[in-house]
Amino acid sequence: MSATTAPRATAPNLQGARSSPHLLMPMTLLFALLIIAVLRSPNLVTNAGLGSAVIVAGPLILATYALMSTVVAGRGTVDLAIGPLISFINVTLIQLVAAGALGSPIVTFVYAVAVGMAYQLLMALIVIYIRVQPIIVSLSGYLALSGINLVILPRPGGVAPDWMASWGAGTSVFSPVMVVLILASVAWLLMTRTAFFTHLRLMGSDERAAYTSGIPITVVRIGAHLICGFFAGLSAICFTALIGSGDPGQGTTYTLISVTALVLGGASLGGGRASIAGSLIGAVDLYLITYVLSTFSFGGIQSFVTDLCYGAILVASLLLTLTLPVIQRTLGNFSSLLYFVVLAIVALGVVLHSTFPYATLGAPAATAATGLLEAEALRQTASAAPHDARIWAFVGILLLTLPLLARTLIVGAPRRGVGPVVYIVVVGLALLAVYLATHGYAVVSLGSAGR
Amino acid sequence: MTDVRNQAPAGSLPARIIGLLIAVVLTIASVGLGLYENLPAQQVILYSAATLALSAWIWRFYVIQFASGVEGAGELRNAWRKYRSGILGFLVLCGVFFLLSVTIDGFFNVWTVISALILLLIIILTMSVGRFMAENRSAFIGLMVLAGLFSVGSMNIDGFSSATNIKSMLLFASFLGLASIGQTLVALLGGLDLSIPYVIGAANVGLLYLTGLGVPPWIAFLLIMLAGGLLGVVNGFLSLRLQGQALIVTLGAGFVISGGTQIVTSIGSEYSGNVFGTVPDWLTNLSSMAGSTFGLPFPPVIAIWAVAALILIVGLRHTVYGRFLYALGVNRTSAERLFISERGYWVSIFGLSGMFSAFTGCLLLGWSGGGFIGVGSQYLFMTLAAVVVGGTSLLGGVGGYGFTVIGVLVLQVLTSFLVGIGLKFEWQQFIFGMLILPMVALYARSPHIRTQI
Repeated sequence: MSATTAPRATAPNLQGARSSPHLLMPMTLLFALLIIAVLRSPNLVTNAGLGSAVIVAGPLILATYALMSTVVAGRGTVDLAIGPLISFINVTLIQLVAAGALGSPIVTFVYAVAVGMAYQLLMALIVIYIRVQPIIVSLSGYLALSGINLVILPRPGGVAPDWMASWGAGTSVFSPVMVVLILASVAWLLMTRTAFFTHLRLMGSDERAAYTSGIPITVVRIGAHLICGFFAGLSAICFTALIGSGDPGQGTTYTLISVTALVLGGASLGGGRASIAGSLIGAVDLYLITYVLSTFSFGGIQSFVTDLCYGAILVASLLLTLTLPVIQRTLGNFSSLLYFVVLAIVALGVVLHSTFPYATLGAPAATAATGLLEAEALRQTASAAPHDARIWAFVGILLLTLPLLARTLIVGAPRRGVGPVVYIVVVGLALLAVYLATHGYAVVSLGSAGR
Repeated sequence: MTDVRNQAPAGSLPARIIGLLIAVVLTIASVGLGLYENLPAQQVILYSAATLALSAWIWRFYVIQFASGVEGAGELRNAWRKYRSGILGFLVLCGVFFLLSVTIDGFFNVWTVISALILLLIIILTMSVGRFMAENRSAFIGLMVLAGLFSVGSMNIDGFSSATNIKSMLLFASFLGLASIGQTLVALLGGLDLSIPYVIGAANVGLLYLTGLGVPPWIAFLLIMLAGGLLGVVNGFLSLRLQGQALIVTLGAGFVISGGTQIVTSIGSEYSGNVFGTVPDWLTNLSSMAGSTFGLPFPPVIAIWAVAALILIVGLRHTVYGRFLYALGVNRTSAERLFISERGYWVSIFGLSGMFSAFTGCLLLGWSGGGFIGVGSQYLFMTLAAVVVGGTSLLGGVGGYGFTVIGVLVLQVLTSFLVGIGLKFEWQQFIFGMLILPMVALYARSPHIRTQI
């Protein structure tokens, strides 16, 4: 294998580029689905479309995060009770609001997070001190919680607090759910920088090694469960905002979907390996599968076809992970970040294509991923059509091309330590994007002279 | 005890100071409470002094003596140490019983007291006798719980031990038992089969659809079994290659089969998803309450389950195939060194699992008389629960079908009991969840990490 031996001389330099190969599969699926979704229904990439996508996918993503923290802890701690727990917080919240005990957003947040954490603390103590297999503890929690949910709220109903009404509207990307999602992701990313997370991963991959090297495994395990409870509480809030009422029956669905998303994202159910990018992409994948399938119309057999395709895509994508070793061998040092950027550029090109107002232009525009040409075309024709999607796509392409260039330059350069520049560029571009998004219309009307 | 320290009965200085502090805090609290309640000053002083004296005395005589382990309290302390969990558990049980008696009207009567005593007896028996059973502890505990539940049920519920009720319990137990065969075998291998409920549903609808097309019922029956086995084989292949994600593979395959069946059955039918047709008489006889086996008044499915259980129990214990299955479950690498074909086992075991799931689906059609895709949905977690309660480890290599039979019976008698005392489905599920944990905790506690190094 010359490909693997060749870069050994510069190995320390290239380590950064070799990120998790487990992300390749979910990323491919993500962009394939995204392209199909955009071609089928360009509405997805408008402000409102993305907004509702965030609202719908939010609870799922947070539930996957929640599950991730216990899965990393090892011993096969797949918390089957995560769905019923979300449902439990949801129905108790609704009932408490109906009784007038909960009102303000802060109290509601504190309540949801506290219930989630308390439940998970109990689970952690049982796992640690009674020492039953975690899967049995979670199975027992699943049955008990789904039962008690139906007792608390026999059938879907009730009304969410007033302040949540705007949350579930989904008219704009910049919704509170988005803020919660971003904060949760950032919190998780910060957590991965701590010694606690290193201990957690060590414990997940080899608990005996962790114990003998003096890691307080009891504390670490409790911490993992508390984090799980925290994210479960957030997920329950977003779920309540999504459906705007109480629903005791969502337990099974959320458990199955979030476990699936986690596995699809490359996490190992054995413990020790999971990444936030993988979980995020896995959850979005699952959302997109349902979205794409909903754009097709099968009449009376819609739900059956959805089931069939859902299962088939799952199995097929898992099967494709078998080709990973081959890819690794042939491509050697394969950066999944670069792969992501390339795919994103292609996908954004498709987004531009599908939302482009050819009718007003009169001539077809290039859809290839060359940022500058697109920009010219955009400026000429930004007149009557929905501005939203095109601005987003344009900014996105710009955003993604620059780090691609920077990255290529840096990997080529012999000097180490230029890596941070990439991140600075990315952050700067992200700020620019936010600015453009808030002042988007102004920019476009500048371009189209005479508006 | 060896670790008795030679210390003064009064205890160490910090312990004394803490005791005194607690006493003072309690006293101040009692003064505050007295003033708040507007009591006469004399009473406040009297009670405060009494509180101070009493708390200091209690601290001195109990806490310090326990903590330092002096000669006088040594025996008491040792006894406490030895039976600590037992005494605490007993107190908790008494507390729960008291709470239930206070909160629920008509809960407290002779029968419930006797039932509680029986349960207590079972717990004591399992704790004392079960200690000496290393191998079949879970089976012993399961049997004890079964006996206890049955006796309590027949005392409290009219007609619980009648022939009809026992027959119906056995009927439902045999459905669950047949569905759990696959789950048990797969668990022995160290995997999980989540496709079982979907295969059951698909077989249920598919059989009715095929007979509706005019295929002779017995051929349709065999075809469905074959299809189930085939799906299982595919599952086995995929799960073997994708070890970490086997859970999702079987789930995905389940979605595919149930969605596919529904699509096929709803082509050319205006009732999408609903299949109508007539169930052959022999199938109805096979699994309905009124069925008879060679003239005997019980449905043949019970006999089928009994025979299958017998074959499996004996087969797992005494055939080479069975022993190798355990070998593979315990340690994959060493099994490979013995030239045990891993692929052969995964494929055949998953194939068996799919076949038995399809079989259960067909039998359920005979019981219900109409096809319904969701008929198996409760078996997703019930088969898991039966395997776990019985005592088969989900990690592979430990357990057997005999254990699962006990697990199935326990779950079934418990369901029947809960239905009998008039609990609704959600409460049943809640109590199920609450009971699985302590039952498993009685026999399946893993050792502390420090003993595994």
